[in-house]
Amino acid sequence: MTLLQAQALLPYFVLSGGIALLLVLVAWLRSEIVAFAGALLVLFAALFALPTAFEAGAQVVDGIVRVDGFALFFFGLFALAAAVTAILAFRYLPARAAHRQEFYILLAIATLGAAVTASAVNFAGFMLGLEVLSVSLYVMVAYPEDAKPPLEAAAKYLVLSGAASSTILFGMALIYLVTGTLAFAYDGAEIARNDRAILVLGQALLLAGVFFKLSLVPFHMWTPDVYQGAPAPVTGFVATVSKGAVFAVLLRYALDADLFHSATAGSMVVLIGVLSMIGGNVLALLQTNIKRLLAYSSIAHMGYLLIALLVAGAPDGNRDLGVETALVYLVGYFAMTLAAFGVVTALSRTVEDAEELGAYTGLLWRQPVLAAVLVAAALSLAGIPLTVGFIVKFYVVAAGVEGAAWTLVWALIVGSAIGVYYYLRIVFAVIKRPTPDVAATRTAWEGVLATAALGVAMVALGVHPTPLLELLKAMLGGG
Amino acid sequence: MNADLVLFWVPAAIAVFSTALVITRKNASRALVYLVISLLAVAVVFFVLGAPFAAALEVVVYAGAIVVLFLFVVMMLNLGRSSVLREGGWLRPNMWVLPGILAFVLLIVMFHVFAGTQAKTAGTEVPPSAVGRALFGPYLLAVELAGFLLLAALVGAYHLGRRYLEERRAVVEGTGEGVDAGGDGGR
Repeated sequence: MTLLQAQALLPYFVLSGGIALLLVLVAWLRSEIVAFAGALLVLFAALFALPTAFEAGAQVVDGIVRVDGFALFFFGLFALAAAVTAILAFRYLPARAAHRQEFYILLAIATLGAAVTASAVNFAGFMLGLEVLSVSLYVMVAYPEDAKPPLEAAAKYLVLSGAASSTILFGMALIYLVTGTLAFAYDGAEIARNDRAILVLGQALLLAGVFFKLSLVPFHMWTPDVYQGAPAPVTGFVATVSKGAVFAVLLRYALDADLFHSATAGSMVVLIGVLSMIGGNVLALLQTNIKRLLAYSSIAHMGYLLIALLVAGAPDGNRDLGVETALVYLVGYFAMTLAAFGVVTALSRTVEDAEELGAYTGLLWRQPVLAAVLVAAALSLAGIPLTVGFIVKFYVVAAGVEGAAWTLVWALIVGSAIGVYYYLRIVFAVIKRPTPDVAATRTAWEGVLATAALGVAMVALGVHPTPLLELLKAMLGGG
Repeated sequence: MNADLVLFWVPAAIAVFSTALVITRKNASRALVYLVISLLAVAVVFFVLGAPFAAALEVVVYAGAIVVLFLFVVMMLNLGRSSVLREGGWLRPNMWVLPGILAFVLLIVMFHVFAGTQAKTAGTEVPPSAVGRALFGPYLLAVELAGFLLLAALVGAYHLGRRYLEERRAVVEGTGEGVDAGGDGGR
């Protein structure tokens, strides 16, 4: 490992060293506040190491990870999302778990796993990063000690996610059989004609597993149940960081391995994308449980994101535009989703989460700040102008038109039109005059502050997205 | 068909067959016996493919350590006279004849591998030292990551296991509430 490589890996070292220190510290002091503050400190220290790492340029370390602007951008995004999750969980967990120190350690480990996944350039890094992330998530989903639903959700997640992981692994084995390398990139000219079928089969299995993790239709069955059962801050984390990491590695793989060189993979992604956009939105229509509603909404959003993947990966396509679109979209998606789950978390003061839409009736008159954030998140998810959701959806449509992915663009338009209905149901519930018997709920100021910050970010990015776009361009240009 | 390929197909077929039996047996300990056979068959496959180190690990870690763990669980759960009677039933021929035959076939395959001039059907043989050099050379980062994977699993198992330990302690001390808490209040 050269010095330059070590410099590029600095954020990863800071995060992993911080986790080890945190573990020792928590074992010694057994204090929740130490674990919480320590985790935040470690995450922010890693964030501060990002510019130094970026200066080292794109570095491939041992063929396992490539640390470039793309990877570091995701690192920053995941670290911020983890920090928000930690802040949300700080007041959420005490009503549900007697021992809370391990949660913050697991959160930091999950972030490390996600960051590694997003920077992987071979299958070893991909699988290890993904498993580090997943194993931490299983426990985080099951974290509350007394309640049954989280445990049930975790069991479902464990079994189904394990099945998806083994599908991915089998696909990797078949690809390795043909290409003879664990790296994503391979020399396509050397592959014999009869081996192509095995390669396509391997890639299909790999994609199926990845789509499962991204919960795209028809691999979406686990999503609503896990979202509903998991504790609200963890649900937000699963919806953002876990999916972001898997999408990042999928994008990397598609570009490095020239996945859409064969028309089969392309048409498969188009089909899955259309099914997800329409299916996710239609299934969300009649939901009265806000966590399930957001689960279906996330399915649709992952479908929109496939447009960016297809545009970036198309053989004659706009690689830079596609990647940029995907990253912009994920930033917006992270902000909206975390804000929505942040509101759910902040309102869930008892053992039961505030899941039912009825709990949000007249929220505006009880919790104006949270209500404003929820309305902003719902409008943003629907893609209404002046929110970040509009900007990112605009980006995706522009990329889709540029890449001539017409089927997907039409599906996006139809899906968004359906989506407006259920997003507006949330908005109407929130602004409705309350019935007098609804008691005022008390909420934690940290959670309110964090969600309010996300709400402000959503609107600010929607009105003035230029700084974000410039940052993105600089990071991608450098990598 | 090449004789070397037989060395691969026989243990591979045994692995699939015994795994199918594992998931269809109703008796847990019977399923366990087939699980051992399945793991041994996979180990033979590894050996035939030229990975003796992976084969040894498969036997030591899976067929060895994990089965011993299972044994501990059986020992802790089944105490008393009834379990002695039940264990008597486990010694009936239908319990061990088929696994015995399968294991014997695997043994014959192993003998053939040792006796044959070619110890493998494909690829190059990977000795343990090569595995070690790869792990602490190009795959050092992967090893470190695997460490974090185990750390996450350990922390997680500690947290999830604690709730049952505490429930048990509460029951022993006579202060146990129901297991089905969760409707009200919390702690």
